[in-house]
Amino acid sequence: MTRSNKLTIQFGFVLALATGLLGFSGCGGNSGGSTSPGGVSPVSNTQAVAVNIGPANNALNEVFTEVTICNPGTTSCQTIPNVEVDTGSEGLRLLSSQVTLSLPAVTDTSGNGLQECVSFADGSYVWGPVAAADIQLAGEKASSVPIQIISDNPSFAVPSSCTSGGGPNENTAAALGANGILGIGVWQQDCGFGCTPSSTSIPPWYYLCPNSVCTVASVPLLSQLQNPVWTFPQDNNGVMISLPSIPADGAQSVAGSLIFGIGTQTDNALGTAKVYTTDGYGDFQTVYNGISYSNSFLDTGSNGIFFLDSATVGMPICANYPGFYCPASTTTFTATNTGLNGTTAPVSFDIANTEALFAANNGTNVAFSNLGGDNPSSFDWGLPFFYGRKVFIGIENETGPTGTVGPYWAY
Amino acid sequence: MKTVMVVVLFLTFASTPAWAVLGEYANSVASDQQVMHGEVRAIARQGYSVQEIKSGEQTVVREYVSPSGLVFGVAWHGPAMPNLQQLLGSYFAEFQQMRGVYDAGSSQTVRSNVRRRGPIVVRTDKLVVESGGHMRSFHGRAYAPRLFPQNITPEVVQ
Repeated sequence: MTRSNKLTIQFGFVLALATGLLGFSGCGGNSGGSTSPGGVSPVSNTQAVAVNIGPANNALNEVFTEVTICNPGTTSCQTIPNVEVDTGSEGLRLLSSQVTLSLPAVTDTSGNGLQECVSFADGSYVWGPVAAADIQLAGEKASSVPIQIISDNPSFAVPSSCTSGGGPNENTAAALGANGILGIGVWQQDCGFGCTPSSTSIPPWYYLCPNSVCTVASVPLLSQLQNPVWTFPQDNNGVMISLPSIPADGAQSVAGSLIFGIGTQTDNALGTAKVYTTDGYGDFQTVYNGISYSNSFLDTGSNGIFFLDSATVGMPICANYPGFYCPASTTTFTATNTGLNGTTAPVSFDIANTEALFAANNGTNVAFSNLGGDNPSSFDWGLPFFYGRKVFIGIENETGPTGTVGPYWAY
Repeated sequence: MKTVMVVVLFLTFASTPAWAVLGEYANSVASDQQVMHGEVRAIARQGYSVQEIKSGEQTVVREYVSPSGLVFGVAWHGPAMPNLQQLLGSYFAEFQQMRGVYDAGSSQTVRSNVRRRGPIVVRTDKLVVESGGHMRSFHGRAYAPRLFPQNITPEVVQ
């Protein structure tokens, strides 16, 4: 089945939209992990990523890549560096200060531009319009997909639902710590069914602002921000992130790879990785000391491993760095992850003294494999988990090489 | 510039969902349920009660109510962050002040030693807030230690 057929069948009610979204030229995609019988030539599927201090010289354990965006269907393109690679979200979000192209707005039938507000767990948020762009990563291309432009000078006032977390508007490189966020998590869209007209309760996520009054909007799946990977003509069933091991006191910079597709080329075989399917929230279960934390997840966008609390782990919170652990000496923990499919295995990890980490190498290191802090209600396996591993992310509805359909993680 | 995408439908919310409010009396649950188009379930426990509001396919908010009717804790799980300002009520100002320490340094020109966009824990003698998760799965809880009924511990709020 070609990619466009697949979409047309699945989302026939937005046919015009699907055509717009899928205007890639000529060749059919394949719907699974296998080589296309239609004869799509392999393309470069490896995108360089790096952990470093970032565009505002203030990043801590953030992994970046560069992203090329184009006016849909044209060769009018620009490349934006230092976009954070985030497995905890879906879709491309770029600071307005970085975008020089004049991209077409995503609108309703009356021409009102779609706006988006996304809040994070700490109450910080981003706000701005949705526009259409082609996204090029390595040799792969997502054609005419909705992306968010994070406004530093928004046309519409930020809705109160966006600011209700009490955190900052992350609309500058200094606040965001990046020039944008490339969300490549387990879902196809950033919001999904919950934001569609069929949902019985639409969360404050997308907005329309006729006459400058912004109200919550329901949005069909294909007008939402898309994880660009699943819309590629090939290598579209997921990604693999590969970061090397790093020294115990950290590193100033780390080079790695973001590889598109799972089992689609010679460089992205699952190998011995175990597959952990997730629940409907993208989460799996982590058990520590006999207690189960069912909302646990892997997230390159979290800069530490955040788990349990000071009393439970017997490590103080740092005096100077709220939210980070400061054990007297590096401490090893073991917790067991279990997928919805029953795959289960223990993970061992170290937590070092954060004050010592931040002082090492004259305070110039920004990549750490043993940085952690408190988070009592789940295991948030942040970027430290990814060093020294190949981690696969299987996208929902897409079939992996073992026949497992996403959403899943494998490592 | 020909690619104009169409948002097929939009609906206007009558108002933002008004969820249970920490530190206030629980008699507003019926109207919460109405506004959230939700389904309310009351669960009696030894020494307190739980009012659970489910809305949409994946959002649940629980409020923990003392025998005198005060909401001493709230817990949430859903695809989007809840409206913490509404959920925390009069405790929101304290939360906002305390969470500020997480942002300290975010505009520095050297490495910000902060958890950017990560989970957050605020702990004072009046208020505890734990907020975590990721897009499509935010979860957390908030409670007022001074409002706890006798013999009830924070573990019940989840």
